[in-house]
Formats: sequence, structure tokens, C-alpha cells
Amino acid sequence: MIQVPFFSVRDLVVDYGGVRAIDGVHLEINKGEIRGLIGPNGAGKSTFIDAVTGRRIPTAGQVQLGGEDITQLAVVARRMRGVSRSFQRTSIFHDMNVLEQVFLASHQAQAKDPERDAVAILEELDLLQYADWRAGDLGYGQQRRLDLALALVGSPSVLLLDEPMAGLTVTESRDLAQHLKRLARERNVTVLLVEHDMEVVFGISDRVTVLELGKPLAEGTPDEIRANPKVREAYLGSAA
Amino acid sequence: MLHFKYLLWLAVGVLLPQLVGSATLMSLLTQSLIYALFALGVGILLRQCGLVSFGHAAFFGISGYSVALLMRDLELGAASAIVLTLVALAIVAFLLGLVVSRIPGIAFGMLTLAIGQTVYLSALKSRETLGGADGLNINWPSSIFGLDVRLFYDPASMFVISWVVMLVTIYLLDRLFRSRFGSITSAIRDNEERARFIGLHVMLPKAVVYALSAVVSGLAGVLSAIYTGFISPETLHWSVSGTALIMTILGGVRYLWGPILGAIFYFFVKEYVGELTDYWMAMLGAVVIFIVVFAPNGVSGLLMQLQERRQKRKQDVIVRRMEVRS
Amino acid sequence: MLGISIFNGLVYGSLLIICASGLAMIYGLRRVVNFAHGALYMLGAYIGYTLSLYLNIWFALLLAPLAMGMIGVLLDKAVFRPLQERDPLSVLLVTFGLLLVIEDLVRAFWGRGSLSIEVPALLADSIELFGNPTPLYRLAVIGLGVGSMVLIWAWLRFSRTGLYVRAASTDPLTTAMMGVNTERVNALVVGVGTALAGLAGVAAAPMLSLAPSMGADVLVDSFVVVVIGGLGSLGGALISAILLGQVQSFGTIYLPGLSAVLPFLMMIAILIWRPSGLAGNRV
Repeated sequence: MIQVPFFSVRDLVVDYGGVRAIDGVHLEINKGEIRGLIGPNGAGKSTFIDAVTGRRIPTAGQVQLGGEDITQLAVVARRMRGVSRSFQRTSIFHDMNVLEQVFLASHQAQAKDPERDAVAILEELDLLQYADWRAGDLGYGQQRRLDLALALVGSPSVLLLDEPMAGLTVTESRDLAQHLKRLARERNVTVLLVEHDMEVVFGISDRVTVLELGKPLAEGTPDEIRANPKVREAYLGSAA
Repeated sequence: MLHFKYLLWLAVGVLLPQLVGSATLMSLLTQSLIYALFALGVGILLRQCGLVSFGHAAFFGISGYSVALLMRDLELGAASAIVLTLVALAIVAFLLGLVVSRIPGIAFGMLTLAIGQTVYLSALKSRETLGGADGLNINWPSSIFGLDVRLFYDPASMFVISWVVMLVTIYLLDRLFRSRFGSITSAIRDNEERARFIGLHVMLPKAVVYALSAVVSGLAGVLSAIYTGFISPETLHWSVSGTALIMTILGGVRYLWGPILGAIFYFFVKEYVGELTDYWMAMLGAVVIFIVVFAPNGVSGLLMQLQERRQKRKQDVIVRRMEVRS
Repeated sequence: MLGISIFNGLVYGSLLIICASGLAMIYGLRRVVNFAHGALYMLGAYIGYTLSLYLNIWFALLLAPLAMGMIGVLLDKAVFRPLQERDPLSVLLVTFGLLLVIEDLVRAFWGRGSLSIEVPALLADSIELFGNPTPLYRLAVIGLGVGSMVLIWAWLRFSRTGLYVRAASTDPLTTAMMGVNTERVNALVVGVGTALAGLAGVAAAPMLSLAPSMGADVLVDSFVVVVIGGLGSLGGALISAILLGQVQSFGTIYLPGLSAVLPFLMMIAILIWRPSGLAGNRV
């Protein structure tokens, strides 16, 4: 029996301002897998997430979820099918209180019990004590976690995380990584994690894909990637 | 508790005309109140969607014209003409809202200005149906919604009627904006892109708020048309939209009663500063700039800030006393 | 009849593009929707009026835009720059406040009545064009419109400042990081944009009477032009100004009942077709 990948991206091409930002990327992720996506600056990681989530229209290629072609779907329709994302530049509702916005997101994602779901996520991300805070008054690290909470509620089937640890301290990001891993496993969420922090990616990913100049360079388990000479040369340099 | 507050305000509105001795002051207050409702319409759009309308005079004026025409040409009764007008206004504004909310928020002001001026120029040019620059006299029947029409002409009783209309409007809007619909619109105003990514359709709620704000302004237009018995293109001019916006800014929109305070403030400046100098518009312009830059929540925001500070001081005193005791 | 209509459309279109390109430029760079733009156009016309009294209209055409340019630089330094971190809506409302102030100031200086500037003697005649007598002045206005557009185009295309302006209107953040003295360029562009409003005002003055409220119509039409063209896009504004000029002039002659509604209908139709205007996704 051939196993159909749960989430796949086929020959994705994205032109952006006259430049080919993504040039034929092919990616298949199984249900419940955590996939890391790494690459040097300008490799096209954010563009890739934007094209997959409908923020940017791809020039060519296909995005499939559970066998359905979702390439042309609007953002809202994608979310209804369980495609959810976080943002590199924190994107939250500054003027609303924390619980209200997470509850709203959960309700929109048609969670069975939105209130309980929202509270559970906030608790898991150590945000419950700020439930009645105005989001704009939270500290930076808390805002990053709130961004994540908005993406995580309502049990999405695919979660695309665009550098969720950006700007956090080392301890904070290790801590967040553990939360993430637990949540993903508990809820059987498929995760695509774009992240700068190598150790985080290698620490929680099942498999890792490396992008360079919009093209896939290598794919494998964290150990294989660590050992891959091409990757070392292109990206990790002597530091690894 | 909430209802008690409304009953209290109702009592204030009923008693106020008894306390006001001067006829000029009374008619000034009544006029402010009608414009306050108009400004409330502009205000909820700003509050819930972050959109600034420079064309709400269209809704304010069209409703008067529409009621006049429905009574004159279709010979409808006053009540049904009014209801029909407001329903039609809601539908038209909703459809218009679907179109205009497609473009970036900042261009919204330009669009609404263009829409408003289009309506104004059309009314000005329509000599036969709408009476051109002269406008129309409206022949109201002897009673409207079971109330003697003379009650609508007298500033004191009209004040009470408008007051009641406004309290009911504020009550309903407050209920609505505290519901999930309120959350949804706040989320869209706050961060439209994120709203889409948590699965919110962004156009529909905006169009609904636009329709609501049009109806509230239209309601004010109807009150004004009854009170004055007259409708002219002047009520459609963009400066009228601008006036409503100024009131909204002056009063602030964080609290629903902000625009009402703003309208009263506006008319008092116009009346009393207008007597001192011809150039009170320039001063008002300067005040608008000042408020936008230094007090974005307007006069109502400043008042609430003062009250909060006083409450805090009171609390501090209590805390200190307790510390002294222990 | 047809010839006259096209010609008048071009005259109005030329005035519009001069005025609206200033508006589009300021939006493109500063992301400011300038509600005072019509008032600045009006102020330009009044300054031109005074200059034409003491000197003559040629000086007025030259010096009034210059004066307006300086006012524009001042506007940028005193208003737009201090408020650049603020919500665009606040800045829009501030320009609305400015509009009230400018209108009243003009009333205070020049009075409430309407004034007029005479057409310069050199251009007072008419010539025969396509079998119709055509006032030379109107022809000159079209020339002015074309001339200004060519100059702006050349400026944007060939100068360093122009390069920056083009870059900044597509991606302000990256451009600011490239190490250009953004503040000086911003002030310059707001200055030029305001000067263009002033130029349109003086040029229009001999064809209509001056009144403090004259800015409103131009403001509305300029907004329509900018929205149809695509916010901040000069090319889009050029096309839509020509289009709007024709629609207005044809409407007045052939569909007088609908003429007021036509620009609006055109705008709605184009927005339904392309929500971000003719120039597309350059917003």
C-alpha cells in the first residue's frame, strides 16, 4: 500500500518583485510529523510559508492537504480546513484582552468547547495568569507566545510556524520548544517549523529540510542533516 | 444595574427641559441632540472598524428626502415611510459597504467623500423631483407613530423624544458590541490580516457596521426632517459630514456617549465662540488637531481618565488609612 | 461638439493630473491621505491672485507654486514628520483640521467674496482648432499639464532623488535602511506635491472665480483619480485623470442628468473590477 502524505507541496514556484524567490520546492509531510525548515537568510523560508498559507499567490505548483488541492483557496477557507500559522513579526490583537482573542480564534476554528480549549492553550503556554490583560500591555516574550496560541487553538491539522522563537532568549526558546513539541504530539498536529535557532530545530524535528536560494538542498533526519557535507558547506559553515 | 443606569439617564432627559429656562438654550440642546445621534452613527464606524467617513451626510440627508418622497408620491403614512426608508437605507449601505470595504482602510475616507458629494450634486441638480437648491417642504400628518406632530416641533418635547431615541439606540448598540459580533469587529479593526488567519471573514462584518452606522445617521436625519419640516441639499453637503466627524473626534469614540458629548460641545462652541469671532471654524480645526494629537480618546476619554484618577486617589487614601490603623 | 467636449475634458484632466499627482506623491512616500490638499490648491490660487495684482500673472504662475512648495516643506517638518509613527488615521484627521484652519485663514486675509484673475494678454485670443474657436489659455493649460508630467517623469526616472522616491513608494522600510537621507527627500517630495497643488490652483484661477470653498470639488475629483489610479501610483493617476476629465466633459454635454454621478459610478465599477486600482498591487 502506498501511503499518501498528509500534507504536500509540489513544485512550488513563487516570483516576487521580479525575483524567483521559490524555485521548485517539493515537500511531503506525514500526519503528526514535526518538520524543520532551515536555510540561510534569503533562502525563501518566509516566502514559502506565505505561499502555502495563502498570504502570497504562488506562481506555479500545488499545495495539498489530505489529498485535496488547496493552492487557490482563500485564507479563511484554508483555516477552516485546519491550516494555521504564526507570524515572524508578532501578529496579535493589541487592543483586545488575551482570553477574548484566543477564545475568538478557537470559536472560529470550530473547536468543540472553545472556552476550555482557549484556557487549556493559555495554560500550556504559561499565559493563563494574563488572561484579562490587554495584549498590547504584555511583554515581548508573552506576545510571541500569544501569537502561537492564536495559531494553536482549535486543534489545527497543519501548523506553519514562522520563526516562533525570533527575539527570545536562549532559555525562553528552549522552554517554548518543549511546549511546542508536547502540544504537537498531544494533539497530533503536523508542524512545519521555520526557525533560525539550529539547536531548536534539530532538537524537536522529526525530519529537516534545507533550503538554499529558493531550492531544496537536502532533506533527512536531524542527524543526517548535521552530517551532510553539502549542508555544512552552504549553511552551517565551520561553526557546526 | 445596567438597566438602572439607563433609567437614571432617562429621568435626566425628561427633567432637563423643565430646568432649562431659556428658549434659545432649549432649541440649541435639541439641535445638538439630533446631531449627536448623527455623530453616533459616524462614531460607531470609527470605533468598531477604524474607518473615517466623510460622506455620512448622504445618509443623514437621503433619509429626509426619502421619507418626503414616499409620503408625497406614494402617499404612504409617516410611520411606514420612515420604517421603509430606514430598511432601504440599511440594505443600500450594506451593499455599498461590501464594495468600499474591499479597498485599504485609509482610502475609505476619500471614497466616502466622493460618494457624499455625488449625492449632494445629484440632489442639487434634481429640480423637478427634489426641488433643486430650494429643497422640499415636508407635509407631516397630524400624528406620527401615534404622537401629536406638534410634540415634534416644540424644542422641549422634541428634546425628550430624541433623548429616548438616543438612549434606546445606545442601549441596543452597547448590547451588540458586547456580543461576539463586537469581538469580531474589534479583531478586524485591530489586525485585519491576523483576523483572516484565525478564520474571520473580514468584509461582511465591516459592511454590517457600515449599514448600522448609516441607519443610525439616517434616524437622526428623520428626526431632523420632522423637527424642521424641511429638507434641502445643504444637509447633504460634505461639510455636514465633516461637522459630524468633528463632533465624533471632539467627543471621542471609546465610549458610545463620546460623540454625544462632542455634538453638545460643538454647538456650544459654535454658539458662544461664534459670537465672538467669525473665524470659529479655524479654532475648531485647531482643537481637532490638538485632540487627535494629544487626547485621542476625546473629551469623553479625558473625563473618564479624570474619574479613574480620582477613584484611585480615593483608594490610595483608604489603603493609607488601613496602613495607619494596622 | 465632439471636438469641444474632448478638448474641455483634456483641459480639466490636465488640471486634475497636476493636482492629483501631488496628492499621489505625498501618499506614495508619506502614506498620508492629505485632506488639506484641496485647501492648498485654493491657497495657491489666492497667493497667485495677490502676486498677479502686484506683479503679473506670469510671476504668479512661477512664484505661487514656489511659495506653496515652501509651505509644503514646512508642512512636512511641522506635521508629517513628528506624526510619522502615529496611526495613519490620526494624520488624516490632522490634515482635516488643517483644512478648516487654512480655509478660515484665507477668508480672514482675502475675504469671503469671490475674486478673479484675468487671462494673460498674450493668451487672451482664440485660435481655430478642428473648426472650433479655441481659447489659447486653455490650450496652454493642456501644455502645462503635459509639461509638468514630463518634468516629473524625468525627475523620477533620471535623478537620484527620483530613484529613491520610486523605491520608497514600493518598499519604504527597505529603502530607509539603504542609508538615504530619507527625511530630506520626504520634505522635498511633500514640497513638490504641495507646489503642484498650488500650480493647479493658479492655472485654474483665470478659468473660474476664486472662493475659499473652491478646494472641495478639486479634492473630491483628485481623490477619485488617486483611488481609481491605485493609491500612490503616478502612472495610474495620469490615466485616470485623463479618463475622469473626459467622463466629466462628456457627461455634462450628453448626460446632464447623470453627470454628477458618472465619476462615482466609474470609480465603483473600477473598484469592483480591481480593488487596488488601475495600477494594481503597488499599494
